[in-house]
Amino acid sequence: MNKTVNINLAGIFFHIDEDAYLKLQGYLEAIKRSLANSQGSDEIIADIEARIAELFNERVQNNKQVIRIKEVDEVISIMGQPEDYVVDDEMFEDEPDTSYKQKSTTKRKLFRDADNAYISGVSSGLAHYFGIDAVWVRLAWILLVFGAGTGVLLYILLWILVPEAKTTAEKIMMTGEPVNISNIEKKIKDGFENVSQAAKNVSDSVSKAAKNVDIKKGTNSIKSTSRTFFDSLADAVMLLFKVFSKFIGILLIFIGASTLIALIIALFSVGVADIIHIPGFENLDILNVGNTPIWLVSLSVFFAVGIPFFFLFYLGLKILINNLKSIGNIAKFTLLGLWIISIICLIIFGIRQASEHAFNESYIEKTELPVTANDTLIVKMVHSHKFNSKRRHDDFKLTHDDNGNKILYSADIRIMVKSTTDTIATLAVIKNADGRSFDAAISRAKNIDYHFDFKNNTLLLNSYLTTHIKNKFSDQEVDIILYLPENTVVYFNSNTEDYIHYRTHDGHLVSNKSTNHFIKILDNNSKCLDCPDSEEDFNIEVNTPEIKIDSNGIKVESDEIKININSNGIDIQSDR
Amino acid sequence: MKIENTKAQMRKGVLEFCILSVLKDEDAYVAEILSTLKDAKLLVVEGTIYPLLTRLKNADLLSYRWEESTSGPPRKYYGLTETGRLFLTELSSTWNELQNAVNIVTSQKHNKNE
Repeated sequence: MNKTVNINLAGIFFHIDEDAYLKLQGYLEAIKRSLANSQGSDEIIADIEARIAELFNERVQNNKQVIRIKEVDEVISIMGQPEDYVVDDEMFEDEPDTSYKQKSTTKRKLFRDADNAYISGVSSGLAHYFGIDAVWVRLAWILLVFGAGTGVLLYILLWILVPEAKTTAEKIMMTGEPVNISNIEKKIKDGFENVSQAAKNVSDSVSKAAKNVDIKKGTNSIKSTSRTFFDSLADAVMLLFKVFSKFIGILLIFIGASTLIALIIALFSVGVADIIHIPGFENLDILNVGNTPIWLVSLSVFFAVGIPFFFLFYLGLKILINNLKSIGNIAKFTLLGLWIISIICLIIFGIRQASEHAFNESYIEKTELPVTANDTLIVKMVHSHKFNSKRRHDDFKLTHDDNGNKILYSADIRIMVKSTTDTIATLAVIKNADGRSFDAAISRAKNIDYHFDFKNNTLLLNSYLTTHIKNKFSDQEVDIILYLPENTVVYFNSNTEDYIHYRTHDGHLVSNKSTNHFIKILDNNSKCLDCPDSEEDFNIEVNTPEIKIDSNGIKVESDEIKININSNGIDIQSDR
Repeated sequence: MKIENTKAQMRKGVLEFCILSVLKDEDAYVAEILSTLKDAKLLVVEGTIYPLLTRLKNADLLSYRWEESTSGPPRKYYGLTETGRLFLTELSSTWNELQNAVNIVTSQKHNKNE
């Protein structure tokens, strides 16, 4: 028993079995598709339907008889396969258009293949696109996921940006088979989707494709009248340009993706560090004198840098994959707005940060040292086990003091020596700091902790300064000026070498080259008491069997004469 | 290169000319044109002719009129227009030239082979 359908074919009424009806409908749809690019296709279809009605009419004796699938098959064999309708066009071209078929066979488009998907079909879509087995693509993903999570990001982006192959035509384009009638029919027969839905979609997309082909044909026929050397040259240039643009696309994707990944990793680690306070990352907070929230700054940097690179990445993808989904105007403008906002945030942050250095103020503490003329003063640095580094400008370290408070260490210490007409030595400790205002700078400067010790004519200077963490790092530095009365002698230990600041025109008397020597302070001058005289330092050593010159003297010995010059005098002996 | 394609191309090349020739003396409806062409083995399947007829009609080489049919749907009777007649005359002379040329070429080849 079969269900029947009533149809009106060219104004004639037929009973037709449902399966026969579906077959006939598919056949007519296929013909429509194949004729989509010819003129007057509606008229042609009407003629064909009329002819089919005629053929059916010959095959039914009375109007009670039903058209079965056998009759439909007969009619189809008389009328011919859908392809027989379409090739007809080619004979009207001035030149057989071979490019259509070549184009459709070689051109694949990237879609997500949801039918063979594990997650979203990105992998099998890529596999179709590159013509390899999906297993390899999935393997590559797994490797990329282990490679710093690159794969996850890329996968999600492709998931969002690559459209899913929904219509049959798209599915065929995905596999790179030419979109012709038998392929579409094959797919439909494979039972991809509801027949009528597919037919509608396919006819839409095929007619679109057909329009494109029409335009192409038009230009071809104009060209064909004089297909010259220049045309082939132009083709070659176009090909070169295509290859070049693909290369650019790959480059853009690479640059965009790697920057985005780096940014995400950076944002993530700063974010985590900010929450769980990884030691070392607090340095960021110390630098942040403007007190701008760290998360805001890092987010601003992320967007300000990331968004342009995202667009680069997107551009690259677009060059490589021509049917990429647009991210949409809303998304584009949101990103643009976000970018502008983050740029503004960064500018504000920059201004705040810069304004913190608007004032550089000093706070001076003077101490008298019981050192008078003819005394000898020894200067040594005292290092901290917590901050044991060479003096360097802008270097700082975060640590805890003995009471468990967080403090900032810096080694920005300079030592200068000047002479004074006073009878007693003076030690001036000048604390410098930057600040948004005069008061802020002064208070920061006052908050610098710096200690020294003096006993037994020995000055012990700390090699570091400390300040509470809340003062932030704001170019805190300590200058130490040692004013010494004339005729005192000063001895700098060699560990002070890095800290001594020496400018002769500023009246500095001790250079960092004269450590480990006793220096006598004169009026605006100094004299080294135990430095080796550079002229006395002249040493010649000759050591041969005949002549020997060393610190003991000069000895010349030969067969005939012996000369010996030393501190005892000159001794000359001759055998003759 | 498939022999079937070449054959089909050759056949289709002259199809336009043949349709016009069928309609030279009297008007005919599609089934009649088809049966003539099919008898001459010029057509294997019918589908090919429909786009062709429409195209010829759109080019003003053919015109048609409707006639009721005792059995089945109304029929389109096609006939040549004046332009169609001129076109056919042109094509006929071209065909004769072509036939002549092909004869000469193929028989020459035949002679050489002997």
